[in-house]
Amino acid sequence: MGFLNGTASFVRFSVEGELPENIWDFIAERVVSFAFRDIDDTYEEFSLGWVSVLNMFDSEFDFASYAAGNYVTLSMRLDERKVSAAILKKYVQKEEERIKKEKQIPKIAKSQKTEIKERIQNELMRKALPVPAVYDLCWNLENSTLLFFSTNQKAQAYLEDLFKDSFDLTLVQQIPYLCGEHLLEEDELDKLAAITADVFL
Amino acid sequence: MDLVDLIVEKRFIGQEFLTWLWWKSEERGGVVALPGEGDIVVVFEKHMLLEYGEGESNEKLICRGLQTELQEARTGLTMGKKLEQARIQLAYNDYEWNFTMAAALMEFRNVKLPKTGGTESGNKNNPEEQEGMILERIFLFEELIRVMMDLLRVFLKLRVSAEWREELLKVREWVNKAERA
Repeated sequence: MGFLNGTASFVRFSVEGELPENIWDFIAERVVSFAFRDIDDTYEEFSLGWVSVLNMFDSEFDFASYAAGNYVTLSMRLDERKVSAAILKKYVQKEEERIKKEKQIPKIAKSQKTEIKERIQNELMRKALPVPAVYDLCWNLENSTLLFFSTNQKAQAYLEDLFKDSFDLTLVQQIPYLCGEHLLEEDELDKLAAITADVFL
Repeated sequence: MDLVDLIVEKRFIGQEFLTWLWWKSEERGGVVALPGEGDIVVVFEKHMLLEYGEGESNEKLICRGLQTELQEARTGLTMGKKLEQARIQLAYNDYEWNFTMAAALMEFRNVKLPKTGGTESGNKNNPEEQEGMILERIFLFEELIRVMMDLLRVFLKLRVSAEWREELLKVREWVNKAERA
């Protein structure tokens, strides 16, 4: 959250690569192609895609709701089924105990333990509800920069992949050194590349 | 060089920028001259994180308190630590932002935007008003970035110029004053 209300945390990216001439048609097509697909009624473990910044259940984008002036505003939604390690451990042990009792054996073979763990994990995963996470972004088409409203590095990595797949464009995080490329002259950039840390005392 | 290496190798640039900006703000009591804009208010407050060394030898120092209590952070500078995060109040043109800057990756955290009619009210069910609200918030985010980029430009131009030595002496004098204080 943060883009549309309250306090916000964000990082800046530059958008590298060429957009086709019919920018808005291209974006309309790609946003819908890579829109979020719900996995609530399936057994899929993971789903990643675009939704409206105003409504995480809107992945239709009627009336190009992602367009605001010269900006594209989107949310990246990530739904993931997760089983906590503690729950998995508990149910694996429970199943092992059940089998030992049933077969009247003192110990379970290692290979069978692996099989039990995999089976239990699959069963629990199917029962787990997908946990949603939504991250907003604002893409400035005029100067090819993008604000991503999360400082979570895992989310940033997902964003870079989804953005590349959706628009064939690369995102480069604007750390201070790379900001220099847009702020300095050519000869100053060479000097910037050569400087080393100074001692401030 | 790929981005991961660049982030590690050039980490100091953001930290030097933030440390320099702190000095620049204290030099004139919370006012910094920005070319083309005039004087703007830049006040370092409440929360600071200083860092020293890399990897296993990485040390961190967290300081919280009112502006007057940042002495400990200043002392941290005398131990060779550099500023990695700071809570900043930035004001110009009747706008005021509060935000935390994480220097190495230039992350803007917990950004509080200036209060304006457009961002505070607005009918959520009216698409036109909604777009207006979104555009106003974007404008305020981008203004903050523009000012910070202007400040970064001033620092970087100075940092690669011959005048940097002279500036560095002034910063060192300020840092060493903390030791004597």
